[in-house]
Amino acid sequence: MIECIKNYWEGSVANKIERSIAELYSDDPECADAAVFGRKTNVDRRGFLSGAGLAAMGAAVGGAIPFAQNMPGGLIPAALAQGQPATPAAGPAAKPEPKTVYLSFPGKNDKLVVIGEKPLVAETPEFLLDDDTTPISKFYIRNNGQIPDTAKEPDKWKISIDGEVNKPLELTLGEIKAKFKSQTRRMVLECGGNGRSFFTPPASGNQWTNGGAGCAEWTGVRLGEVLKLAGVKPSGIYTAHYGSDLHLSGDASKPTLSRGVRMPKAMDPDSMIVWAMNGEPLPNIHGGPVRLIYPGWAGSASHKWVTKITVRDKEHDGPGMTGTSYRLTIKPMVPGDKADPKNFKILESMPVRSIITSPAHGTKIAAGTRELKLRGAAWAGDLAVNKVDISVDFGSTWTQTQLSKPKNRFDWQRFTASVKVPADGYYEIWTRATDSRGSMQPHVAPFWNPSGYGGNPMHRVAVLIG
Amino acid sequence: MIMIFRSFVLALVVYGIAITASAQLAFNPRDETPEEFPSGAGRDETFYACTACHGFKLVAQQGMSRQRWDDTLTWMTEKQGMPELESEERKIILDYLESTFSPKAPAGRSAPNPFLKQ
Repeated sequence: MIECIKNYWEGSVANKIERSIAELYSDDPECADAAVFGRKTNVDRRGFLSGAGLAAMGAAVGGAIPFAQNMPGGLIPAALAQGQPATPAAGPAAKPEPKTVYLSFPGKNDKLVVIGEKPLVAETPEFLLDDDTTPISKFYIRNNGQIPDTAKEPDKWKISIDGEVNKPLELTLGEIKAKFKSQTRRMVLECGGNGRSFFTPPASGNQWTNGGAGCAEWTGVRLGEVLKLAGVKPSGIYTAHYGSDLHLSGDASKPTLSRGVRMPKAMDPDSMIVWAMNGEPLPNIHGGPVRLIYPGWAGSASHKWVTKITVRDKEHDGPGMTGTSYRLTIKPMVPGDKADPKNFKILESMPVRSIITSPAHGTKIAAGTRELKLRGAAWAGDLAVNKVDISVDFGSTWTQTQLSKPKNRFDWQRFTASVKVPADGYYEIWTRATDSRGSMQPHVAPFWNPSGYGGNPMHRVAVLIG
Repeated sequence: MIMIFRSFVLALVVYGIAITASAQLAFNPRDETPEEFPSGAGRDETFYACTACHGFKLVAQQGMSRQRWDDTLTWMTEKQGMPELESEERKIILDYLESTFSPKAPAGRSAPNPFLKQ
């Protein structure tokens, strides 16, 4: 027996540990290939499947693999990797955990996946992001603290502006609506930790796949106009945001989260104080009656239930601004190693990302189908998306998709493609977007950092024809 | 042996069931119990220390080394208002976290194979 398999097997038995296929692959991918599928890695690093091995992998994914010769050695088939299928497989559970818990929340789609209940965090599986504008019912939920009660009189909600300003202000939402010109923009809001679950070793925090993002129509006023009314002093270089949600510990003196942005971002004409989402009053669960939106940047800057914006004369240091929170490494670090706090910079613009929204991961397609029609979405933080390519042969060949223009800055870009397949069987559709500065999504989550930001590997969707 | 091993791995791949909670008018976090999580010495102590503030699902989806768990407990006490743990209790909790939620055992988000039905 191959030594690595023997060790693995005996270790599992001796320690009575149930170990997953993902774990086996993360231990030693090539050994895992040999153990599970009898697959040996070729010199060109693509896996070699033949005879029993090919049949075993076909059995594991549920169908023959026409492009098996292209599959990279050590790659976990998407069907076995994480990702939320539209229809979960039936059958008895061999083990009670982990199980997918779907969201049950008034007004929300019941296919949203709960990442945590306290605080409530739920993501949108990629196939639910198939609308041009993400409906409120499908929009992801991210909380850091307790969910406040719904405001009874939204227009009396008060927001104060203080700190490095000539004239501190306290305005009600009603006054803000009356005083400033409103605008509506369709813009992506994305959690800073989106894609965190793709890191190896695991990064700490909510284990988002790609579902911590959505693109809604936001209505409000330019934050910059409100700041100008207060008169930002030359010393005012950074914002600090505060909201009304209570810290999970119940300690009212402790801000749940308080992040901020550099003044140029606050003054960006698309940075807004918003009170409506898709034409409806901003729902409480999304920070209503009023929140901030800094499109393209980590979602935590877009403070929910906002009550105060303090202009500061230095980088803000509230909860969520320090340590490794919402920060990327300056110099790459060894994955899993102890972090050097001096080697971190604030995460601002989110990285380029693309998702396939149709077909859903786990779709069965009629036998004899030889052409796959695909839809998806791509976005790139502050930047635009230049192109999106898709592959159905494990990345050997790529097809450029038809990419739409954004409706306005920070809108996502929808794409479509049609691609031919040679036979029935198991396919993975891979997608990679390239942003307007030429950065392309990598194969794996890049530049490991302890809290897992910037995880934007290519999205993979498994489908079975026949 | 290899075939047995394959069956064992495949059996692990297909576990996982969907739970759809019943509709409700407002959101109340589901009450978790320690028994839902992997057994081991220190499980209950860890469960109650963490769930004073947040759900245990947040803990159970992590996979970290003892050092990173230790740093997390320090961060929780220094920044998030967690009561200081006595050294013996901290050791019990760290032992459980290290053995149960290690970097090799990311429990949280693996999904069932959509194409395999029993």
